[in-house]
Amino acid sequence: MNDYLVGVLANIGIISFVALSAYVLLLAGEVSFGQQAFFALGAYAAGMGTAMLRWPLAPALLLGALVGALTAALVGRATLRLTGLYFAMATLAFAEMVRILFELFTFQVEVAGGLVGPRGTDGFGDIRYLFENEITPAQYMAGIWVLLAVTLASFAAFDRSRYGRALRQAGADPLLAELQGVAVVRVRLVAAAAAGALAGLGGGLYAHLLTYVEPGNFNIMLGVHSLAYGLIGGLGTALGPVLGVLIDIGLLESSRLFAGYRMIVFGGLVAVLLIVRPRGLLDERAVHRLAGFCKGLLDAVAARRLDRSLRRR
Amino acid sequence: MIDIVQNSIDGVMVGSAYALLALGFTLIFGTMRRLNLAYGPTIMAGAYLGTYAFAQLGLGALPVALIVVAGAALAGLYVERLCFRPFGEGAAVASMISSFAVWMQIEEAATLLLPRHLNAFPRLAAAAPIEVGPFFFRPEHLLMLVVAGLAAACVYWALHHTRFGLGVRSVIDQRRAAALVGVPVTRTLTLAFVLASAIGGLAGFLIAASEAQITPMFGMWATTKGLIAMMLGGLGSVPGALVGGLALGIIEANAQWLFGPQVRDLLAWGLLFAVLAFWPGGLMAGRRVGEAAAVQRRV
Repeated sequence: MNDYLVGVLANIGIISFVALSAYVLLLAGEVSFGQQAFFALGAYAAGMGTAMLRWPLAPALLLGALVGALTAALVGRATLRLTGLYFAMATLAFAEMVRILFELFTFQVEVAGGLVGPRGTDGFGDIRYLFENEITPAQYMAGIWVLLAVTLASFAAFDRSRYGRALRQAGADPLLAELQGVAVVRVRLVAAAAAGALAGLGGGLYAHLLTYVEPGNFNIMLGVHSLAYGLIGGLGTALGPVLGVLIDIGLLESSRLFAGYRMIVFGGLVAVLLIVRPRGLLDERAVHRLAGFCKGLLDAVAARRLDRSLRRR
Repeated sequence: MIDIVQNSIDGVMVGSAYALLALGFTLIFGTMRRLNLAYGPTIMAGAYLGTYAFAQLGLGALPVALIVVAGAALAGLYVERLCFRPFGEGAAVASMISSFAVWMQIEEAATLLLPRHLNAFPRLAAAAPIEVGPFFFRPEHLLMLVVAGLAAACVYWALHHTRFGLGVRSVIDQRRAAALVGVPVTRTLTLAFVLASAIGGLAGFLIAASEAQITPMFGMWATTKGLIAMMLGGLGSVPGALVGGLALGIIEANAQWLFGPQVRDLLAWGLLFAVLAFWPGGLMAGRRVGEAAAVQRRV
């Protein structure tokens, strides 16, 4: 595999985490323009973990996810009463505040004879864990995709559980869900925290891939893109947001086909899809149909096998 | 003390442009009950067309102003067709995201038209600042204040004293009832949308002319400033937009002087967050065009 492909794949895997983060909130019926804030917090926290505290990678990533989850729970607590446009604007305001705070945040310590740490608008460089521990880009990319696969598998299990049902129910009709015994407020709060954790984890992976982050990386464009991924790919399954990322980064950004017109194509795609398929390509109905088709296929194969073994007797 | 008064004077001048931005924004929200995030980029589309004409043909300030307003109105029509018309009543979130998608389109199209980061824009007045006692007034700021005030007065008059305004207000109050008594609802909505975009274009021209330059960041800048000013005053309220814009201008001017530009922006966003979390109706809650509480319930 060449370096370019490895880079693109690593990027797709990382951005999928923010996309999944926005997706969780979409399931809960909330539109967040601010998931980039938790991505940024995770990136800075994990980067500080390895570069300044000299922690190994795994606990640093965990720290990033935890910081993301805790902050998201706090913000969720403050914005619980808000829905729809008001919630979207509050998350956007919070994310912009986080970005500006990182522009003002300078905190450096001496590590191995040099100063390391966030330096305001100049960003946070020298997050060199991968380099120092001789992890190749291909290995790191594989690690990202293993994490993503585990996350997607947990989503699949979650979707079948009663908690998954409760989340979708709270998103579809909060009043009805409340009447049927779903604690909507608590479901939303937990969803916000989980979304924060996912974004924080993605941020930690991102900081270590790039070795350098700056506040400008975490602007509103990232937040809205991650929201759009779920809406393009579909809200029926956690594979939807990943599909959205694949379409945008894999197809539009990485191919030369739309050079210079990427945003025009992507923006038009989102706008048209919202009209013709408001819940994305892999929406609930498509997923249901696909699942039925797969099940039918499996049943047919099983029946045939049974038939054959009976005949053999 | 003199500095704070001077800052506040500057703040009122800049705030008048914010108020005009918020006015267009709030007009769209009031009639559509939806947020048009592509509002700033629509203005930018007009401003970029004006800049292009200025660079290519060397037009004066007034024709450029006309091009900016017309361009913004045209771009507004595009946004309305693609992001607002296709969705039924109540699909606020879909329209909001869709308008963001169009934001990206317009921004890229604008940078394709004028690839340079910094572009010259015709200046309104080159006269020296006017001194009154210890205070200074920049003439282009005074002009901004006057034009913004006039525009706001015109909008108020049009809303309350014309047939079109009556239609707009009835659509805001009760869309179905308005349709039943013969108000052409779709046309009224479209017209109000285009009018709001044109008001935004006027605000955009005043701002770009007082700075004599324009960058690709203008779209995002206009959306965020207009949004904060409108939200501070309360969604969908005309007096709220004016108060919110002036308040934002005064706060920003003083914060910039005291703490610098980053804290200024931090404060503006923090204020928006606090208003949303603690007074979701905005500072002028209850003084909206149309039913006050119903707006919030429906959103």
